[in-house]
Amino acid sequence: MNIFLKIITSLRLTVILLSLGMMLVFFGTLDQVNTGIWVTQKRYFESLFVFWSYPAEWAASDTLGFIRIPMPGGYLLGIALIINLVAAHVYRFKLTWKKSGIFLVHIGLILLLVSELLTDVLSRESQMSITEGGKTYYSEAFRDNELVFINRGNPDYDDVVSIPQSILSKKGTIEYESLPFSVRIDQFYPNSVISRRGNQPTMPPTPVTHGLGAHKNRPTDLMVNEQPVRYDDQSVNTVSAIITLTGTDGTNLGTWLVSNLLDDRFPRQTLQVGEENWDLAIRFRRYYHDFGLALHDFRFDRYPGTEIPKNFSSEVSILDDTGSTNQRALIYMNHPLRYGGLTFFQASYDPETEETTILQVVRNPGWLLPYISVLLMGAGMTVQFSMHLGRFASRRKREEAPA
Amino acid sequence: MKQMNWKTWIVPGLAACIALLFLGRSLSDPEYQKAEWKVEAFGQLPVQVGGRIKPMDTVARVNLMLFSERQSLAAKMIPNNPDGYELTATEWLMDVAMDPETAADYRIFKLIFPDDLGLTGLQREDTRHYSYRELEPYIPEIVVAFQGITAEPPQRTAYERQIVRLHNNLVRYQRLTQSFHPAGHLDDLDQFYQGFMDSIPAGMRAFHDQQAGREFDESAFNRFMGFMIQFQNMAQNADLRLVPPPSAEAFEEGDWTNIGLSMMNTIRTQMIDPYASAYARMTQTYQEGDSEAFNDTVAGLNAAFKERYADQVPRVHFEYGFNTMSPFLQSIVLYVLVFLVVCISWLIAPRELGRFAFWLILFTFLFHTFGLVARMYIQGRPPVTNLYSSAIFVGWGAVLLCLILERIYKNGIGSATGSLIGFATLIVAHNLALTSGDTLEMMRAVLDSNFWLATHVIVITIGYSAMFVAGALAIFFLIKGILSKDFSKREAKAINGMVYGIICFAALFSLVGTILGGIWADQSWGRFWGWDPKENGALLIVLIAAIILHVRWGKLATERGMMSLAIFGNVVTSWSWFGTNMLGVGLHSYGFMDKAFMALMTFWGSQAVFMALAAVPYSWWRSEFGQSMATRQQRKQKPKPASVPEPAETT
Repeated sequence: MNIFLKIITSLRLTVILLSLGMMLVFFGTLDQVNTGIWVTQKRYFESLFVFWSYPAEWAASDTLGFIRIPMPGGYLLGIALIINLVAAHVYRFKLTWKKSGIFLVHIGLILLLVSELLTDVLSRESQMSITEGGKTYYSEAFRDNELVFINRGNPDYDDVVSIPQSILSKKGTIEYESLPFSVRIDQFYPNSVISRRGNQPTMPPTPVTHGLGAHKNRPTDLMVNEQPVRYDDQSVNTVSAIITLTGTDGTNLGTWLVSNLLDDRFPRQTLQVGEENWDLAIRFRRYYHDFGLALHDFRFDRYPGTEIPKNFSSEVSILDDTGSTNQRALIYMNHPLRYGGLTFFQASYDPETEETTILQVVRNPGWLLPYISVLLMGAGMTVQFSMHLGRFASRRKREEAPA
Repeated sequence: MKQMNWKTWIVPGLAACIALLFLGRSLSDPEYQKAEWKVEAFGQLPVQVGGRIKPMDTVARVNLMLFSERQSLAAKMIPNNPDGYELTATEWLMDVAMDPETAADYRIFKLIFPDDLGLTGLQREDTRHYSYRELEPYIPEIVVAFQGITAEPPQRTAYERQIVRLHNNLVRYQRLTQSFHPAGHLDDLDQFYQGFMDSIPAGMRAFHDQQAGREFDESAFNRFMGFMIQFQNMAQNADLRLVPPPSAEAFEEGDWTNIGLSMMNTIRTQMIDPYASAYARMTQTYQEGDSEAFNDTVAGLNAAFKERYADQVPRVHFEYGFNTMSPFLQSIVLYVLVFLVVCISWLIAPRELGRFAFWLILFTFLFHTFGLVARMYIQGRPPVTNLYSSAIFVGWGAVLLCLILERIYKNGIGSATGSLIGFATLIVAHNLALTSGDTLEMMRAVLDSNFWLATHVIVITIGYSAMFVAGALAIFFLIKGILSKDFSKREAKAINGMVYGIICFAALFSLVGTILGGIWADQSWGRFWGWDPKENGALLIVLIAAIILHVRWGKLATERGMMSLAIFGNVVTSWSWFGTNMLGVGLHSYGFMDKAFMALMTFWGSQAVFMALAAVPYSWWRSEFGQSMATRQQRKQKPKPASVPEPAETT
């Protein structure tokens, strides 16, 4: 037991963990070139173990391609560091004035590690696009999708039933009390290409019977082909599914093709069940907020005579749920709007019209923690090193005095 | 208080004399080949390009640098030049602007591998510099080759990169020549412009008739449209905006126009803009060889600018002075001098020459500081805005730290380290400027925040400086320890203390800088930490500093092990500084560089060699320190040496 304690409280372990951390961060940076930041983050920093493999894109990958380097992932290292640190403080470290700075740095570090974990778990990023003169009450996450059924029968509100992508990917049959039919997921494509049949006349027909994708044995029929999922920051995956709907009485309501590609540019796919009309679609996961934003003006200023962006800004009003304005705000680079637990950042715009702004919407309840930990660590280091410097100066003085 | 006598002052006085010599050399006017023309006045003319108002001289230097990797025309680049004269960048631009026939023969385009371009007939034994006239016949081929390139910049082959560079440079050259006047009428521009003015009334009438489908005066129409097509071409292609806005708008904000656009505007204004006609008169007098009339025109133009923009024109003139003074080039030479003096001082007179080196590096540091502050004044920004300026600043910060060390320890190590890093970083900056164009470029919107540039960027860059200082000190420790008999135990202890102190400093600044970066990221895109390459690079520096400190506190390595770790800090820091930019991903990489990759690999190789020095057995060390360690090892009779007792106060 003593040996075990000695190990987990030892500085040697700290140094080993920090070295492994350097390795993880380095390879986690290298891998971003090939897999993009999003996957790398999941694989390296939000994991327990990871294998780095020699990239196929590199020179001599035929002979060196077998190289695999195993290393502990971010979660494992983070937890191990916290244990090492806490154990050292409990069993080995004596809190004295001389070491108060180090103590502060360590507390700050623990807080930082915890806040990073919290951010991974709790934070949510989505995007909101608003056109000048328009208003928006929801934001969308381009990496996540949902299958929705919308009943627009009520003039005051729409009934929306949403099935998240995580459930779709398990296939199977889904029933829900407010839906007058059951949904069977026949095929699910996390990324796909939708093309006209004309290009592939030999392809077997799809089983789709209703809606935009209905098979009519013509060159204009739509075909779906699975594609590898893309994770880089620029790509958006075309999520598609083929679903069969069955009425509560067992009548077949048809097999449908739904895809996030078939968005507002296409006619709605609508299914009639008795008196009710239900629209069905796959779309980017939507988060509805209990307030909205109206865009008055989007500006993209450039330096004179160049295309170098000088400034992007969005002038918005915050609308409450009755649609009345209670606050105006200007969102621009480095100046986000914080409201209702969300933060809105100027992220992008529609390059064709330059009239539609795209705001990054972030919910991160733990956003304040890093600030606190940072203060602790900065203060701790300053205290500690000032004491070092003071001692160093007085020693120098003693040494120089006789000379 | 010691008594001050002449002996106290002679060493700093001598250093000051040398510094003054350099200052005088840098302030004196260059020797102009075109001495009868007011070259300086032409070089000071303000022009708007790249979103910024700068002197013509900067335009000349930036373009010449991109074409030839030089800031002036060497004798071999000028044809039929038995006297071997050279041209300054501004003189070259004067020829490009006003005597393009002559300028087309200057061999300014540097091709690194002319044989590999696949252009038959271009290969030549004697030179790698080609003139525009020599390259002109190949332009169609080059354009075809350029259009065939589909790869993104990071994936391009050496051949493709060369084609892209040549193509872009030729386009750049054409855009430069189109900036001043329409081709083919240089010696009678006044008549040409007057002819255009005369053609406007009838031409416009004919144009309206033609548009309305009525009968129109065909000859008047054709004459007018002939002019308009030429001006339109100029307006579309011109690189430089020479004509300030007509109203008294602010200097910087207003959109200047180029000559082509300005001429097209005369249809509305009924008169040629005085700035445009002044440029025409300059060209014409230059063609005629009438230097007196030319000088009057340039002087008049400068006076007009000065009167209208009394506040801002001094800044443009200052930039011209800054260019000719080139304080960083002066500093490079001086740093080399300091390094030599320190090395000699160790051999013969450590005290006197050591003091001399200290004063000399102090004056060099002032040069360096002047350059840094001058750039801040010209740009109106904190010192670090791009990779180039970060190199200038890393060197500056490192020299400052080394000056402090030298002041404390007075053993020459600080001066040696400082001059070495100052020299190396300025060389890096010089090479970065070869490919980047204007180093005082405008800030993209994401980075446009003086507050964060002044805090996060500065703090993190000082962290780089400190890591390099620690690494360089460690290299001195190993080299002197192995080679120099004079390297005593006392000196070893001193350097060990320096490395420790500097690493503490580096840890503090890297950590605070990284964290400030996190806060900036949280402010600008809602993520405190995004595992972006540049962020990861900064984190690696924090980690290596933390490792070194914990190794020391836990006494887990001997002195030379610590030195080896500090040298590894150089590798990590250079990765964070340059390596991450070469990945071609990430939200805030300043730009991709390819030639730099080889340089980085070479640097890493050299650092690996230095780290390996730590493994040399103590018995081979020539120094007193090494010998004493060897004896200690023998006495202990252990396969691995126990660590050296640490001074108790430092833990």
